[in-house]
This record gives sequence, structure tokens and C-alpha cells, in this order.
Amino acid sequence: MTDHPQDQIALEFDDVSMRFPDGTQALADIALRIRAGEFVSIVGPSGCGKSTLTRIASGLLPHTGGTVRVDRNNVGFTFQDATLLPWRKIQGNVELLMELRGVPASTRAAIAREQIELVGLKGFENHYPKRLSGGMRMRASLARSLALDPSVFMFDEPFGALDEITRERLIDELVDLYMRKGFTGLFITHSIPEAVYLSTRVAVMSARPGRITETFEIDFPYPRRPELRFDPRFVETCNTISSALRATLETAGPAQ
Amino acid sequence: MTQTITAYPPTPPKPPMPVGKRLALTLLPPLLMGLALVLLYAGTRAQLPEHRQFLMPGASDLWVQAFSRPDVLAELGARAAVTLSIAVVGLAISIPLGMGIGILMFRLKVMERAAFPYLVALQSIPVLAIIPLIQSAFGFGFLPKVLIVALFTFFSIPTTLLLGLKSVDRGIIDLFRLQGAGWQVILWKAGLPSAAPALFAGLRISAGLAVIGAIVSELFFLAGRGGLGQMLINSKIDFKYEQMYAALIASSALSIGVYLFFAWLGNRLFSDWHESGGKSS
Repeated sequence: MTDHPQDQIALEFDDVSMRFPDGTQALADIALRIRAGEFVSIVGPSGCGKSTLTRIASGLLPHTGGTVRVDRNNVGFTFQDATLLPWRKIQGNVELLMELRGVPASTRAAIAREQIELVGLKGFENHYPKRLSGGMRMRASLARSLALDPSVFMFDEPFGALDEITRERLIDELVDLYMRKGFTGLFITHSIPEAVYLSTRVAVMSARPGRITETFEIDFPYPRRPELRFDPRFVETCNTISSALRATLETAGPAQ
Repeated sequence: MTQTITAYPPTPPKPPMPVGKRLALTLLPPLLMGLALVLLYAGTRAQLPEHRQFLMPGASDLWVQAFSRPDVLAELGARAAVTLSIAVVGLAISIPLGMGIGILMFRLKVMERAAFPYLVALQSIPVLAIIPLIQSAFGFGFLPKVLIVALFTFFSIPTTLLLGLKSVDRGIIDLFRLQGAGWQVILWKAGLPSAAPALFAGLRISAGLAVIGAIVSELFFLAGRGGLGQMLINSKIDFKYEQMYAALIASSALSIGVYLFFAWLGNRLFSDWHESGGKSS
């Protein structure tokens, strides 16, 4: 992992709140500081505004209260779908963001080939997305973001649509990428084991209006291996976070 | 109470159908239908009193009077070229204009609100009804015919393009916005490629209409060197019904040809990546 200056903040939410034009209070008093090199996952019930939080952090959605501090020029973003351009081959898709940033053609072709190899898609450069499986498309999507070498990488439930086995493999690969590249991670998910396996810290969000109710330091050493999922301490951590999540639901009243 | 269980034996897979049988099942129905239509034509012709049988020329007359005569074939070719040129120039006006208006409506919501009702209204005007007006305004040359084709083909272009542009994946637009891309870049690199298959469906309809529009426009313009439409009218005046039928057949062949060309082009452009394409994984 790359070393970062001690305690340098890469992403900070300072009392951030979000009220939509229709009056819905989506987020309230969000306070979260993420140090450079940390990997923080946010878990919460569906509809709690955790996706809204990444959209705000990346600048896609202007927030209505508080302050966000982040270097938006170096943000990687992975959506719930792979969002590949169907009319471009994998090579062209991985080059896209560099193209929009004005990287010269020969440079971006070389970088794209490197990233494609890194995510294990070598040999598929000239395939169209529709010929690839869901997991392969998500890999191409990761390669596309990695090509810009982002310092902060945001993930908005990227593996939700994949089957269990593909998902676990991609999570292992993401851990690997995180160790190699040393980016700061913000990962949105509704899967507690996924969050614990990936992260240095897990934040629990309450139902709407979304608030961060508790955060948990996860101190399992990296690299994390699949066996970790069966470690009693891992299971215990998941249970603790699960109870914290249930507690937020109970204080918010009966489930809808 | 006792339970009754039944044994279900497996069903062996059906042997694949022999190629000959499969071919016969595909080709026979349209062939039989064609034969039925020919018999219907011949039957109707036989019912007609002799002095009215010119309305439905027989196959041998059609061959002797039209398709076997080099001068008639040459005329058909030359006239088809004139009709095609009217149709193509008309499309060359309506396609860029329609795309421009579609893009403008997409870019400016206020333009969509302002223009859309009039586009619908324009479509509801029967083009045939304003041909006399176009004649009065623009005379009898090439331009008025081209304008008629443009009117015939215009409507489906801005509407299909607008629909296509509006259904671009939100995530893809967000992806571009995150890199600070301006609307021109988003339009060029995401909007137009994404909308292209929908636009092409519109173009295919417009292309077929263009040939029809060109022929209809010629029915109203008998002066000068005209296309197949003029031949239809002239052969009626000259009482050469075999040639009229030849012109009819040439007209529909032209229309089908233009449609097939656009269908082929669309398939070539999009089948590699679009959902509707043939080569899916």
C-alpha cells in the first residue's frame, strides 16, 4: 500500500444535509472524515440515502447544507451498473474517461491495455460489452476508472446485481487493487459481510433522513483472504454491525 | 388416506427436421399465397367484360408490350432515376433539418414545448392538400417536388431522434458529467450514438415515404422530364395500360429497394452492439 502523510483528510462531510426540492429530507447532519488511504464502507437500509451521499461527494448532486471537502479532480466513480457505452469495444470504453480528459491517443491506448490486463480482461479488448458477462462488464468499468489513477474511489453498490460467486471474486480483486494502488475508498453497500471484508472502517446509516449512527474500526490485516469470512471474529464483527443497523431501524419506528 | 404416485416416463427429444422439409415449410406458404393472388387476378380479369379487360393486362401482354421492349425498359430506368433523385434530394433536406430540430428540442426544453405541438399539427396536414399551393408558389420545376418529399419525410426524424436522445442511460450521462464534459461532447459521444438505432428506425420509414412522396408529387407535374409518376399518368392518357403496370411495378420495386437499403445499412451499423442485433451472445 502507498504511504500517505499521517492523518491527511481525503474526504470530509462536515454536517452535510440534503433536502430535495419536493421537501424530502434525505440526509441530516452527516459528519464523516476519511483519511487518505482509508477504505470506508457505508451500510444502511435501502432508501436511507447512502447512494445520495456518494452522488454528493462526487459532485453529481449539489447538497443543500454543510460542507464537503474532497479533490473532485481525482475521483473515481463506479455506478450500480457497469455503464459501458454499448457501441464501443472494451478498449474504447476503458479509454473513454482519458479521452474526455484530453489524454493523447497513444498514451491512453497503452494505459487502457495495462488496466484491462490488471482487471483480468486481456484478450477481450475488441469485444463489445453485450458479448461479456455481468462480472466482466463490471471489471471493464473498474478498469475505466483505474485508468485515471484516482486518489479517491467511490463505489455505489457496484456488485449488487451480480451472482454470489462472481461477487466474492470481484471483492477479492478489489481488495487486491486497493492494496496495489492505495486509493482512498468510499464503498456503498447493503451487505454487511461485504463491507467488513473490504474496509478499514464501516459506518452505519439510519433510515431516512439518513444519519451516520455509528462507525466501526475493522482491524483485520490486509491482504484479506476468503477464509477470513469463516473467522469467528469476522462473524462476530458482522453480528455487532448487524445489531447496530437493526437498532437504527427500531428507533425509526416500524419498518415500512 | 393413501397417496397415489404416478410414474412419468421421459419424452425422447424429437429428431431434427430434415432440411428439405424445413425449407418447404418456410417457402411454401408465401408461394401458395402468391399463386392464390395470381389466380384471383386472373379470375377477376376473366369476369370483366372484354372491352374493360385493358384495366387488368394479362402476363403475356405485359411481357410483349412492356418488359420485353428495350425502349420501355430504358424509359423505366431513366424515369426511376429521376424519381430516385427527387426522393434522395428531398431526404437530403429533411434529414439534416429534422435532426437539427430534434437536437434543438433536446437541448432546450423550452424549444420542445414551443415546437412539438406544431410538429404534430404539421403531420396532421394532408400533404396532398397543399400540393396545389406549393405549385403556385414554386412553379413546376425540381424544387417543388423536392419540397413535397421533404414534407412527406420530415416528421418522423425529429421525433424519433428526440425520443432516442431522451432515453440515453442516465448513468452514462453522469459518467460524462463527472469528467466535466460539456453538452456538445455529451451529445456527440453519448447522445447521438445511443439514439442512432431509434433514429434509424425513423429513417427507414422516411426513406420508404420519400419514394412515395416523389411519385405522388410527379402526378401533379406533367411538364418537363418526369419520373415514374409522370409515366403512370402519361400511359393512362396514351391508353398504354401495360406500360402503366410496368411503371407501377417499377415504383414498388424502387420503394422496396430504398427500404431494404436502409434496413441493410442499419443492420450493418448496429448489429455488433445493439440489443436488437442478430449476433447476440
